[in-house]
Amino acid sequence: MILQGKRVALPPNPVVHRRFEEHARATPDAVAVFRAGERTTYAELDARANRFARHLAARGVGRGAKVGVCLDYSADLLVAVLGTLKAGAAYVPFDPAYPPARLRLLLDQVPGLALIVASPATAGLIERAPVEVTGFEELSERLAALPATAPAIEVTGDDLCYAVFTSGSTGTPKLTAVRHEGWFNLMNWLQLEYGLHQGSHNLVVSAFGFDLSQRALMTALFCGATQYFTTSRNFDPMLAYRMLGEHPIRTVHCASSTLYLLVDWETARGGDALTRLDYVLFGGEALKAERLTDWARREGNTCTLLHQYGVAECTDVATSYDLAGYRPGGHEVAPVGRPAYNTAIHLLDEALRGVAPGEQGEICISGTGVGAGYLGAAGPENAKFTTVEADGEPLRLYRTGDRGRVNADGDLVVLGRIDAQVKVRGMRIDPADVERALARLAGVREAAVAVTRTAAGEAELSAFVVPAGADLAEDDLRARLLADLPRNMVPARFTNIPRIPLSPHGKVDRAALADAIARGL
Amino acid sequence: MIADGVRAIWCREFERDDIGPDDDFFALGGQSLIMTKIQGAYIEELGAEVPMDQMFLNPTIASISAYIESSR
Repeated sequence: MILQGKRVALPPNPVVHRRFEEHARATPDAVAVFRAGERTTYAELDARANRFARHLAARGVGRGAKVGVCLDYSADLLVAVLGTLKAGAAYVPFDPAYPPARLRLLLDQVPGLALIVASPATAGLIERAPVEVTGFEELSERLAALPATAPAIEVTGDDLCYAVFTSGSTGTPKLTAVRHEGWFNLMNWLQLEYGLHQGSHNLVVSAFGFDLSQRALMTALFCGATQYFTTSRNFDPMLAYRMLGEHPIRTVHCASSTLYLLVDWETARGGDALTRLDYVLFGGEALKAERLTDWARREGNTCTLLHQYGVAECTDVATSYDLAGYRPGGHEVAPVGRPAYNTAIHLLDEALRGVAPGEQGEICISGTGVGAGYLGAAGPENAKFTTVEADGEPLRLYRTGDRGRVNADGDLVVLGRIDAQVKVRGMRIDPADVERALARLAGVREAAVAVTRTAAGEAELSAFVVPAGADLAEDDLRARLLADLPRNMVPARFTNIPRIPLSPHGKVDRAALADAIARGL
Repeated sequence: MIADGVRAIWCREFERDDIGPDDDFFALGGQSLIMTKIQGAYIEELGAEVPMDQMFLNPTIASISAYIESSR
């Protein structure tokens, strides 16, 4: 089963900063960055980035090198990012909200790290840095002496543009790199498919270290629009919402959990700043449609919600779905839609053969966005990037480890992780499937299912439900689930709990739940 | 007392009544959803606009109350 995205020709040299430079020439006085009342024009940002690129080049930092950027969101951050790209190098974003020990651990994993750009506010976070740490304050005299024109450094679509850490399913951070062509293709698709333009001003609300933040940061500049920043290091619904209300911001890119918080903020206080947006592009975890339904139906809501799916290894977003077409309450989870331009989704079985239409398979991604793989120590992980034969030609694809199928409308539906599946009495089960069935039952607000062990060591399922009202009886839940699910998928035990424990990343903490059972809760 | 108001909000959102002035927000299991609710409650109940960065820097009832006090 293959979903093929539209084939759209890219310019001969699809290099992201060249598109920014075109805007700097065409609209030099347009505002590129807005933060705390301070505006930086395209011409100013371009000139500063050119000088920084020349500084890097003079120090031998060019193609193949990595520049660490550990800055709070600011014009300086964009100077560091664009200057690095102009020098032909790739940047690695470091979130200044990370604890110093974590930053140090990550920095040590970057092969070819040439230097780190930090500010007085962030340099202190980097203990015993493996390479020089420098900032625009220290460099200001040296940079001012350099020409403001672009250095003549050839960069191609095949060159790396950034590398981000992804926690992966194992929890060990891995550095995954992507290429200019893939990043260019992603933003070109968003621009053309959704009609983004010079007025499509954006507010960044996600932490710099996340893969989605790279696209959130650059799409406005790719389109000639203004990039707005809040002044906070951590996501701040109060400040973010205020920015949306006070400025002509049209788009927000964020994780699903962030969107829920913004929706809750607006719902609790009765504003309309969020409903007046053109687009929220979001995803990254299973959609909780009930968190959005009432808000989405509000009168005068003109905001289009784009529910997206992708992986950092393949340049972030691979598919997109306009949620206006989704009617929650059915037995179907919200789709993630159709592939980006020049991108295909393959649903394959364990032997990497295509599954039949309507069947489940592992979601694999091919096309322009497939990245350059993991850098450094995690080499064996690169086996997830593989080559298959398609129409007699070798085709490079990435195995996501996610499980999905294509629904009757031709949209991709993500069902869970392949490796989350457990065998219960011989049947392969993903706890996420059982959670969805539980959450659909009347009287259940939320549900989580953990894999636990019987005294004899066999795997079984334990369900945790957050009741909408009074506690729910185990027999009642079991009886109602049996009407929907095969017997092996019905949990062995049910426990009412006041809320689902979340990990620090805001995901369901199944390990904590399994622990509670093991301790005899 | 600001600290009494802060404590009442924390106890409600964490659904427990044994939170001391120096207990750490994150050690109590606090995460972004609870933080957002508490941030909203500070505005509505205490008339205080507390940026999220300050909530990270001052993760106890005692320290955030001192911040709110000083920002008035």
